[in-house]
Amino acid sequence: MITIGNLAVFLALIAAVYSIGASVYGGLKRRGDFIASGEHAAYTCHAMVVIATIVLLRALITHDFSIKYVASYTSSTLPLRFSIAALWGGMEGSLLFWALILTSMSSLVIFQNRERNRILMPFVTATCMTVGAFFLALLNTETPPFAQLAFVPTEGSDLNPLLQNYWMQIHPPALYLGYVTWTVPFGFAIAALATGRLDDLWIRTSRRWSLAAWFFLCCGNILGARWAYEVLGWGGYWAWDPVENAAFMPLLTGTAYLHSVMIQERKDMLKVWNMTLIILTFCLTIFGTFLTRSGVISSVHSFTQSGLGPYFLAFLAAVILGSTILTIRRLPELRPKHQLDSMLSRESAFLFNNLLLVGIAFATFWGTIFPVLSEWARGVKITVGPPFFNRVNAPLAIGLLFLMGVGPLIAWRRSSVDKLLKTFMTPTLIGIGVGVAAFFAGMRDVSAVLVVSFSSFVLYTIAYEFHRGATARVTMASQNYLAAMASLFTRNQRRYGGYVVHLGVVFIFIGVAMSSIYRVEEMHTVELGESFSIGPYTLRYDDIQDRSDDHMARMIATLTVFENGEEISQISPEKRFYRKPEQPATEVDFRTTWRDDLYVILGTIDPGKTATFQAYINPLVVWLWIGGLVIVLGTGICILPTRSARERERAREATIARNQERA
Amino acid sequence: MSTTFNRFSGAVAAVALALFSLSCAPEAPNTQKGIEASLSCQCGCGLTVQTCNHLQCSFAIPVREDITKSLRNGEPGVEIIARYAEEYGEKVLSAPVREGFNLLAWYGPYVALFIAGIVVVLVIRRWTPERITAEAAKSEDPGQTGDHAISSDNRDRLREELEKYEP
Repeated sequence: MITIGNLAVFLALIAAVYSIGASVYGGLKRRGDFIASGEHAAYTCHAMVVIATIVLLRALITHDFSIKYVASYTSSTLPLRFSIAALWGGMEGSLLFWALILTSMSSLVIFQNRERNRILMPFVTATCMTVGAFFLALLNTETPPFAQLAFVPTEGSDLNPLLQNYWMQIHPPALYLGYVTWTVPFGFAIAALATGRLDDLWIRTSRRWSLAAWFFLCCGNILGARWAYEVLGWGGYWAWDPVENAAFMPLLTGTAYLHSVMIQERKDMLKVWNMTLIILTFCLTIFGTFLTRSGVISSVHSFTQSGLGPYFLAFLAAVILGSTILTIRRLPELRPKHQLDSMLSRESAFLFNNLLLVGIAFATFWGTIFPVLSEWARGVKITVGPPFFNRVNAPLAIGLLFLMGVGPLIAWRRSSVDKLLKTFMTPTLIGIGVGVAAFFAGMRDVSAVLVVSFSSFVLYTIAYEFHRGATARVTMASQNYLAAMASLFTRNQRRYGGYVVHLGVVFIFIGVAMSSIYRVEEMHTVELGESFSIGPYTLRYDDIQDRSDDHMARMIATLTVFENGEEISQISPEKRFYRKPEQPATEVDFRTTWRDDLYVILGTIDPGKTATFQAYINPLVVWLWIGGLVIVLGTGICILPTRSARERERAREATIARNQERA
Repeated sequence: MSTTFNRFSGAVAAVALALFSLSCAPEAPNTQKGIEASLSCQCGCGLTVQTCNHLQCSFAIPVREDITKSLRNGEPGVEIIARYAEEYGEKVLSAPVREGFNLLAWYGPYVALFIAGIVVVLVIRRWTPERITAEAAKSEDPGQTGDHAISSDNRDRLREELEKYEP
């Protein structure tokens, strides 16, 4: 089986390299046979990677410890679900998993466009396969997943205990899907540059791919935050760790891209900017991979240090150089053909939204790499931690929240100061009113008041937009109000799905701001039967149980929670000691309500006597997760094809075909 | 045109200044939490002393106790932090001190953003028809005015009607 795995990885590389050559030659010479051959090679590459993945999965599940990777990341007592998750738990497996997703996406996009976009497709194939070839080259040389040990150990080293959590089964795949899917829109951008088809065709064709990439990246970030919240046990969910930052940055530039392409579609403007954003987003996905695998910057999420850093850096440099040369070569054709109608317009608001999004991405990038710069320039090691990122990014994020309310209300094309004053009067008064009310209710933190105030401003604008749209539908289609409201999602899914996403983002702002600013934390050491209080809650330490098995030793404490003297629930935080690797871990427990989370960690235990508990109250943190779900819903609305969208798409394609025939 | 532009630029500058001043708001490192958050834990967790998740951490726990004792003894937060910086070096601070080379870290993003903001305003100004119309008027070429021949009232009415049917 190992030979099959090795052979599959090797053949996948050969197929990818051939696909690049055939696709580029076919694309340049307009040779259909070479283009088809390049696409078949891409399918072959995918098939080979699937075979290699199946072989590695089989080895992981059957605990074939003769393979170094399996011995390093599993053990015979590791549950099946974590044995499968070990595929992305280590360096070699994660790179193979990356290649699997990438080749799957490549096959999907090639199949999807087998009869469409035939001029662009050879270069899309070549771009995807170039990225694939890079990863496959690493798998064939530096990080072979099927490397064998000189002897077969009787037991493996097991998966890192922090990764033995169900979030680990979904967070990395979601994040990888997000990272990798950006390759497809990037491929279309490169294809547009290579062929000179610089209208909005490449944007429209890759729109769903961009949305999907954004969706997965967003899910990856939120699931990662949830994983940190449940597993890392420090009461928070985001620590501005370099690897978290690496996942956050492409999300920001990707969001900027999704907004600015609307201007290109409407006005045929910002072509250079959109190219820059998609190239930047793709480069940041590679930068994220570089960060986790190079060991250049220390991070709790990093894989073991390896010599992959220079390869990733070289690849990144090649991508930046190649894309920049292509863009510069096409600059005359990328110049805007139209003008903005007015400075006061939604287009302008989008430009400022882009400015802030890219600004936050830059500030995050700057803070992430600054320790390296400092060491290089001054020879002094410094730490750039959460206080820096919170202080620098919070004001920009608040500005962004404000713009999220401005965008929908300001008209496309042109507005006027008088009209703006009229339109913004009500939401501004609501925002100010809520801010003042929050202040008098005891909220004294400026950032918190601003978030609450701007959030209510944005919520009003979203509600107003839905109401306005529904009212127009009632007039035009004689529908009742509710049916009209529902029809908005099918008739203009992109716009109204986008508003739902905005709603989710507002919830996230509220959850993050309130849980970070007004968090309460206390540590108590109590005897069995004793109680301690935190905020409105009283917790009684009732029991401690030993539930050890072959895989780990477990001590589970039981606390009864009271509020205003009434028993409301039980909380059972636990302490674990994994037998392989010999490592302690905490398993927090928390009680969630709309108002707050009561979050408890079990610390030191003296069985039968005392136990130490760290308890937190995280106000409104549930809204962060609800916001994530709302974003999923909103993006789903934007992506899923509806009948009317399909009809519009068909009509558009027919028009393009007619125009091409005439030409 | 210039009035709108000035108002617009003024508003943008005011918002930018307000955001910038928020980031410059002074820290309050005289509380237990504030000081803990200012110090980076050295146990390898990558978190601050305040958020270190190791309940038996050999660094964070003694430091927390020391901060409590020092504050009780009336030692100012700034001095407590300085004492740790002297003992462990700058890496123990969870954010760079605002001096010398580190100013680049704090103000670099805002300077970049400010310059980018000016570029955006100039680009918008360059792309707006007021300027184009003004240039066209200067050259007295009526052909370049295009649809701006429609009166502003009619244009507004047309836009309002179109917006009504946008959904």
